[in-house]
Amino acid sequence: MTKKTDAHQASFRDPSGYIFYDGKTLQRAIKPIYFPQYNKLKESGFFKNLISKGLLIPHEETAVSSDEIIITPEEIPFITNPYEWSFEQYKHAALHTLKIQKYALSKGFILKDASAYNVTFHKGKPIFIDTLSFDFYEEGTPWRAYKQFITHFFGPLVLAKYHGTEIFKMMQTHIDGIPVKLISSLLPTRTKLSSVVYPNIHLLAKMESKHSEDYKAETKIATLSKKAQENILESLYDYIKGLTLKEASEWGNYYDKTNYDETAFEAKKTLIKEWIKPLAPQKLIDVGGNDGTFGRTVIDSVPHIIVTDIDSNAVDYNYKQLQQNKETNMLPFVCDVLQPAPGIGFNNTERSSLMQRLADYAPDVTMALALIHHITLSGNVPFEKSAEFFASFSKNLIIEFPTRDDSWAQSLLVRKREFINHFDFYNETEFEKGYLKYFTLEKKETVKGTKRVLYLLKNKNHAG
Amino acid sequence: MNFLYFDPGLGAMIVQAVVAAAAGILLFSKNVMYKVKSFFGLVKEEKDTYDSIDVEEQDTDTHDKKN
Repeated sequence: MTKKTDAHQASFRDPSGYIFYDGKTLQRAIKPIYFPQYNKLKESGFFKNLISKGLLIPHEETAVSSDEIIITPEEIPFITNPYEWSFEQYKHAALHTLKIQKYALSKGFILKDASAYNVTFHKGKPIFIDTLSFDFYEEGTPWRAYKQFITHFFGPLVLAKYHGTEIFKMMQTHIDGIPVKLISSLLPTRTKLSSVVYPNIHLLAKMESKHSEDYKAETKIATLSKKAQENILESLYDYIKGLTLKEASEWGNYYDKTNYDETAFEAKKTLIKEWIKPLAPQKLIDVGGNDGTFGRTVIDSVPHIIVTDIDSNAVDYNYKQLQQNKETNMLPFVCDVLQPAPGIGFNNTERSSLMQRLADYAPDVTMALALIHHITLSGNVPFEKSAEFFASFSKNLIIEFPTRDDSWAQSLLVRKREFINHFDFYNETEFEKGYLKYFTLEKKETVKGTKRVLYLLKNKNHAG
Repeated sequence: MNFLYFDPGLGAMIVQAVVAAAAGILLFSKNVMYKVKSFFGLVKEEKDTYDSIDVEEQDTDTHDKKN
């Protein structure tokens, strides 16, 4: 029998099974109540088809007994959550869910839930990770996960169309999706004229409040043919696929706006490549990595790269590039360093905080280029504090320090107006003082043609 | 808060009949429009990188036979 060392905090809601860690390996236990479904899904080739199409995370059956079946899914290096996705990522996760439901339906199964947490990004694409989310389809029944699809996917996406991607952060405060009534009230009145938004949101909100007091489950539910359900799925699919952000602040190429020229840009790239090579990292994170330009300089030699940025548009652009280039080892997501995603849900542990996930990921190299002046001058975070932040998950840190003479640092300083003297500490000496509490100085070099210094620092608490 | 494994939401179950009817009309008219447009050569290629809702069945079947 497998020894369960650590039950995962995110899986208690489904009585069909649960996930746990056996040492460092994530595994899924299936309880007898779900055996009929599991066996049918397995024997009919349903799992195999979904897996071979890259829709469902592959798994291996590792133990079978009369009271438990254990499966071991392929490892996903880093889990991102809905509130960390860009618009395109969110859209694709939604389309992915609909696609799977439609396929399941054609094979006599359904998705019994449509939580956004059942999808994450892996190898450059969305992937469904909750293997036990399937159940038998009963002829004529409506889709029981329909409402969840609206509150987890459709609602947030339509809201983002009108209010921008900041809306996705509402998923942090509503772990089971944004309430339909709230979605309805936040949408402009003219959406009531939409033949897709009106029935799927406004009418749904009305029906939900009308029937909220049916405590005895007395109201009869009308049957819904399979074809009718397929129509719902297809119309949602078409609508979501065509969604664009209203305020499509087009990703204006950031690197056109740099304050240094092409040669300096290339010099920075070369320096970074040179420094990274001997470290031979397996995992690398680029914090504030924009559209992944610098991450891409080492994409051929590093097996797994994470690129985060505060700008959802930059992440979106990176994600589109991944798809175009068919890159499988880069994972972009949205993250505000000054306010990383907290742990949410029951006990605050259902979805881990970003800091927890970063510590678990334990990247070999952390890059923070053109970021420290924002943390220090926009966020007013003292050097020692930001050093502590990076030290909590980094082994090696490549950090770029724009000196006071750098035009961007200057513009941030000037904005402090009469408080500019409070930021006299923004200089190399103070920077080193703060960072060398947690790190040792390995390398230091001025990037040619710029007023920026690049540091390679090693975490004092990491032997490796 | 209600969790889905137990409660799919009654209103949501009932509303699907209406949603499906609306979707049916919409899809039908889209289909007609598509045919008209393609007749006049007005069909634009889609930009989105995510492919269609349908899983390519034939491929999976041949794949299965090989295994």
